[in-house]
Amino acid sequence: MAGFVQQVIEGLGTGAIYAGLALALVLIYRFTGIVNFAQGELAMFSTFIAWQFVHAGVPFWAALALTLAISFAGGMLIERVLIRPVEGAPELTLVIVTLGLFLLVNAAAGWIWSFLIKDFPSPFPGGALRAGGVALGYSTLGVLGVVAAVMGLLYLLFRYTRIGLAMRAVASNPESARLSGIGVSRMLALGWGLAALVGAVSGVLVAPVLFLEPNMMGGVLIYAFAAATLGGFDSPVGAVAGGLIVGVAETLAGAYVHAIGSDLKVGVPLAVIIIVLLFRPQGLFGHAAVERA
Amino acid sequence: MSSTPLSLKSSPASGGLARHWRWAALALLTAAACAAPFQLAPFRVFQLTMVLVYAMALLGLNLLVGHAGQISLGHGCFFALGSYAAAIMMDRWDVPYLLTLPAAMAVTFVLGFALGVPTLRLRGLYLALVTMTIAIFLVPLLKRFGSLTGGSMGLTLAHPEPPAWTGLARDQWLYLLALAIAAACGLVAWSLLRSRVGRALHALRDNESAAEVMGVRLARYKTLAFAWSAMFAGAAGAVNTWVIAFVSPDSFTVNLSIMLLAGIVVGGLGSTAGPLLGGAFVMFVPTFSQGLNEAAPNVVFGVLIIAVMYLAPTGLAGLAGRAGRFAAHIQRKK
Amino acid sequence: MTGRDDGTFLNVARLHAGYRAGRVLHGVDLGVAEGEICAILGPNGAGKTTLLRALCGMIRTEGVLRLAGADLPRRRPEAVARLGVAHVPEGRGTFAPLTVEENLRLGAYTRRGRTRIAADIDRVYGYFPVLKERRAQAAGSLSGGEQQMVAIGRALMSRPRLILLDEPSLGLAPLVTRELFHIVKTVNEEERTTVILVEQNAHLTLEFAHRAHVLETGRIVLSGSAQEIRDDEQTARAYLGIGVG
Repeated sequence: MAGFVQQVIEGLGTGAIYAGLALALVLIYRFTGIVNFAQGELAMFSTFIAWQFVHAGVPFWAALALTLAISFAGGMLIERVLIRPVEGAPELTLVIVTLGLFLLVNAAAGWIWSFLIKDFPSPFPGGALRAGGVALGYSTLGVLGVVAAVMGLLYLLFRYTRIGLAMRAVASNPESARLSGIGVSRMLALGWGLAALVGAVSGVLVAPVLFLEPNMMGGVLIYAFAAATLGGFDSPVGAVAGGLIVGVAETLAGAYVHAIGSDLKVGVPLAVIIIVLLFRPQGLFGHAAVERA
Repeated sequence: MSSTPLSLKSSPASGGLARHWRWAALALLTAAACAAPFQLAPFRVFQLTMVLVYAMALLGLNLLVGHAGQISLGHGCFFALGSYAAAIMMDRWDVPYLLTLPAAMAVTFVLGFALGVPTLRLRGLYLALVTMTIAIFLVPLLKRFGSLTGGSMGLTLAHPEPPAWTGLARDQWLYLLALAIAAACGLVAWSLLRSRVGRALHALRDNESAAEVMGVRLARYKTLAFAWSAMFAGAAGAVNTWVIAFVSPDSFTVNLSIMLLAGIVVGGLGSTAGPLLGGAFVMFVPTFSQGLNEAAPNVVFGVLIIAVMYLAPTGLAGLAGRAGRFAAHIQRKK
Repeated sequence: MTGRDDGTFLNVARLHAGYRAGRVLHGVDLGVAEGEICAILGPNGAGKTTLLRALCGMIRTEGVLRLAGADLPRRRPEAVARLGVAHVPEGRGTFAPLTVEENLRLGAYTRRGRTRIAADIDRVYGYFPVLKERRAQAAGSLSGGEQQMVAIGRALMSRPRLILLDEPSLGLAPLVTRELFHIVKTVNEEERTTVILVEQNAHLTLEFAHRAHVLETGRIVLSGSAQEIRDDEQTARAYLGIGVG
């Protein structure tokens, strides 16, 4: 029993990381209808920036703050430069552009920082809380705390601020938002900036676990896709819940289903995506638009 | 959605060129293609063989993405399955290599069909997502069934030898074989597209609901598009196995699928020449840019596919078509 | 006729506009006085909606577009909105997943001042008491008439100088439409807000409007006071397809 609880805790820890990246995906999807295939790579690039700061002797939390600021600006810049020209284009065009970004960012990181793996410091102390044979690592606790905090801040932003309200308006009806005097394109850029920032948080959280290297996020992205699909691509709450569920499911499947083991765990998100898309395409928390004629 | 930036209409690009010019160009290309192995160094012949291999795979992807409008990020899977099917037959069961081609094509056709059925209900982005996940899942799957696939080490095979009566060197033989198979695949794809099937696929791409109204049996053609596209990739995979004489899971990562998609986009979605140009692109961009840095090929790929989306949505083939029409225009004026 | 007669508030001259597929407006001339309710009538496809879209900068235009003596910004609806032009589009432009109150709040997006915005929300609830009951509901779950109220309420929240109403009666029961028009009239009288009302329902519209213009195939073919147009039986038959009397 203790073993099982332990697995669930581990699962929640990894799940929180998936939730972070899924949240970033959902933010962009809600505003622009784009599934950003480059989201993981952007997060990886941000993590390298953080690593560079830490490497140069900047204290961890200051490096993180700087990285988040740069990621936010970078996300807005990418929207302005790369996405704006293809706004409203067919899905195929959008998918291809974000895939191009995927290749470009991945390779650029390899070019700048090489493909050798790097140690990334964990912001949390080692050790764990222990009770009844179950250990709750401080790092797991830290990861859960950070993701909960990000989630909470986003909730406050969207629910209680003027900008957040405007962003939700843009997501729901861009034309009407424009008629209300909202600068829609600025809000879209803001959406990309926020997504890049949230993605950066997930990158920094995952790096100490996986080691930092340009291909670090490839696997995580698939789990984030599964999390977002499960939660519903238009639901931030769903993304987080989906992330946690996928994380736990993956850990349990790896531990208890021997045919899966640790090497085929990536089949779990695949199964989740296919099952959800076939049987409940809007996901657990997604809305089929609330409208009455 | 007729005025999309991606103008995928099957190309009037070459329509501007007078018919006899097109035949002349085709004859010239054929002659050059046949003469090439006797003029070039073995290494170059090998490279050209690989261009043909990629072109075959891209024929399939072009059918699916360019003509039927279905986004697939999993095309590399079928390439891998074709490669492995051929390799396993040659390695484990000593099947004569030429027989592995139809077998690989049959296997991939069936699996493509099988994938086509559940993905019927998926559109656009979700299809891209599912196919990409499958592509990522393939590598650990290949590693897992080591008794069949050789695990992470892969399978090393004996190179097929040319029949003695031809008097050809191995690279020349394989090149000519690849050329013949690629030409056959090209013909099959071409006649498919000129038939009712082609029109059905275009209807699917341009407007699914309208297609349904027009009585196109959506489900059937969508599934078949997957199956055919997989079959071409399977053929390419089999030839790839003969040429490289080695398969391993790490040659078939999701990057291969992304690269193939990049190739067909740059080559020209929905165009006749697109697969060939795309094949050359997939083969030579890494070769040329690798000297710069190991990361350079993907930087170039990334920049180029974004640039193509903005500047030349019809790809290289579209540009060539435009250049051709421009030349014809100049000539008429003279 | 109410409103000032000295100088027009909204001045449209030689206005051409349209879409990629073709031009819809062919030289529209229109003057609207401050404080009046101006009806734009005409058959389907005459260009009524296009005229409103041109006014608020949603489409490309050529010609003169001046509000209170200043040129209106072109192709930047958000800038036009900040000048005090509130457009209630056809189909109401509801932010469906947002609550009624959030919808209203968005109407005041261009304004600052928490207390004054709160006061204006109460003012809108005064006009439409039913919205107060539904304030926390998703706007998309409301009935058509209530959604139209939200749309008009949202327009009022911007403290507009000019409201553009596009076919507010669409899909509503005649009684509901009449009630809405009454409220628009009240707003117009109490706050001297200028209203341009695009409608197909000429009969009802002419009861509430001060002046009316008939638009046909992209041109104004007839202008006059609402009374004149109503009384002119021939025009009514020819242009509006309504029986009089």
